[in-house]
Amino acid sequence: MIGLIEVMLLAGAPLLLAVLGELVLQRSGALNIGLEGTMLAAAFGAAMGASMGGSAIAGIGGAIAGAAIPSVVFGLLVFHRRIDAIVVGVAMNLVAAGGTTLLYQHPRTGRRLAGGLPSFPKLEIFGIAVDPLILFAWLAAPLLIGALLWKSRPGLRLRAAGENPDSLSYGGFPVARYRWMALGVETVLAGLAGAAVAIGLAHGFAENMIAGRGFIALSIVIFARWSVSGAVGGVALFALATALQYSAQAGGSGWGYQIFLAFPYVLTLMILLAVPGIVRAPAALGK
Amino acid sequence: MRRTGAAVVAALAALAAMAIVLALLGHPPARTMAILFQGAAGSSFAISESLLKSIPLLFTALAVVVAFRAGVWNIGGEGQFIVGGIAALAVGGMIEGGAVASILSLMAGIAGGAAWAWIAVLLRNLRQAPEVLTTILLNFVAVHLMGWLINGPLQEEGRRYPQSDPLPPESLLPAAGSTRLHLGIVLAIGAAIAVHLFLFHSAAGLRLRATGLNVLAARWSGVRTRAEITRAMLLSGALAGCGGAVELLGVTGRLYERFASGAGFGGIAVALLAQLHPLGAIPTAVFFGALSTGAGALQRSAGVSAALATLGQGIAVLVLLTLASRMKKEAGGGTAIFFRRLFRRTLRDSESAS
Repeated sequence: MIGLIEVMLLAGAPLLLAVLGELVLQRSGALNIGLEGTMLAAAFGAAMGASMGGSAIAGIGGAIAGAAIPSVVFGLLVFHRRIDAIVVGVAMNLVAAGGTTLLYQHPRTGRRLAGGLPSFPKLEIFGIAVDPLILFAWLAAPLLIGALLWKSRPGLRLRAAGENPDSLSYGGFPVARYRWMALGVETVLAGLAGAAVAIGLAHGFAENMIAGRGFIALSIVIFARWSVSGAVGGVALFALATALQYSAQAGGSGWGYQIFLAFPYVLTLMILLAVPGIVRAPAALGK
Repeated sequence: MRRTGAAVVAALAALAAMAIVLALLGHPPARTMAILFQGAAGSSFAISESLLKSIPLLFTALAVVVAFRAGVWNIGGEGQFIVGGIAALAVGGMIEGGAVASILSLMAGIAGGAAWAWIAVLLRNLRQAPEVLTTILLNFVAVHLMGWLINGPLQEEGRRYPQSDPLPPESLLPAAGSTRLHLGIVLAIGAAIAVHLFLFHSAAGLRLRATGLNVLAARWSGVRTRAEITRAMLLSGALAGCGGAVELLGVTGRLYERFASGAGFGGIAVALLAQLHPLGAIPTAVFFGALSTGAGALQRSAGVSAALATLGQGIAVLVLLTLASRMKKEAGGGTAIFFRRLFRRTLRDSESAS
């Protein structure tokens, strides 16, 4: 039982960080389909940072730097050139997948990123060793994001950028500034998510190692109806299902387990089908 | 003309960016780019391989063109392609080989792709679930469905590798001479022409484009937009599924893990570079096909990852989007003229009907 919950919290940590980041961005009125690519760039940056700096902290720095590259391009094209966010996101996914694979397979950079990276030091709380990543993702990040969005003045303006950007700019606040701010939050959280995958889960980089987590995060944002508590609940449900899938895989034998791999995606589709009534998105999302 | 210019500039910019990346990675750019060009178009064999690679891309690109023109974000070309391949294999395996078998296989692929897209359109119509996400999720479901099939029910008789048994050779599409280039290229170009005629020379195509340009204006002009979106999505899935069936019947003959290998997202890149024009998708598909053939040659001879082609695709799209956004700003007003015409047309139709 404890094992199952630990797997759930660990597997859910990168997902929850990504969901919270995308939630903030969508609250400000922009949609980033390229989240998968941002996380991939972050995972690569994390492996680079950890391998060069020799510590997990350096890995986090590398991850955020890696995530910042696609984010800045996205912001420039979507907020300033007014190009459709979906097509920019698709292109960023291609660039990130191509770029990281190219670097990873390069003999000078790649091979030493494949494994053996330093891991996060465990924290000792009431005698139980807890991964700091779990603590941050499941406790600190939701509280911080909730406070930012609902208890702070910049958060109010950020949400106004997503609901009624005209009124925000009539009030004398540039909409782009608040969308950039939201993108900045997403970059940091997606960066941490990438680090959580590359350092926390795998101790190394692998091609396409995000494996759809970015896309699943996008779906959970909708399931959560753009609320922080919904995000925590959605990721918990999803991570529990994933953890159960792992134990089913371990218990079962033969080829049957292959079908379990599709389970998270089918579950997300079922969740979307089960959400009753109209899903109300931020009014100016994607505009 | 200016649109073609923008696409050419974007393609050249992608090549330049690739050369810079190669130089940064420590490969001599002139020599490696020469290997890339040689591998893509240096011999008649290389050219036939480049054309071969462009066939699946053209089908998935046409799928994207139809969907995006209707304003639906079908990002699920990959999944529809795979399900098309699965359906084609299932049907092709059931009947004796021959021309009838390949035609029935193709039709099964078309139906399979459309059915996979139908799930997304159903979720959209029932629950307002955005198809941009559901189609992506369905991609993963399709990948794992295929993974399960080729490790289980459809695995080859010998059960050595995760792949299916091949279809009988007489069911496969005929190839040209000693190359691997097959009849599929004729089908793909035919599909591009058909999509062009449909979109720009038929009333149904006009309604579809009207829906994509402005849903409300289209509805006020008498277009049943929900039915248009459903139809566009099914047609889009059918095209991608047809691509999967053609790839199965023309090249692989069987299913295996890397069966789709990026045809879905590659198709989006092709469609965007062609600026959603079905005939423009033909040269852009050939360009990206050549790019990936060349990158494959580069991987074999210089040890540079073939992911270079994916990077090139992404950069070409980003450059094109930047150029196109400037063009849109200068043009303006095009949508208003379009709807004035559509409205007049509806008026004329209703007058002639009464």
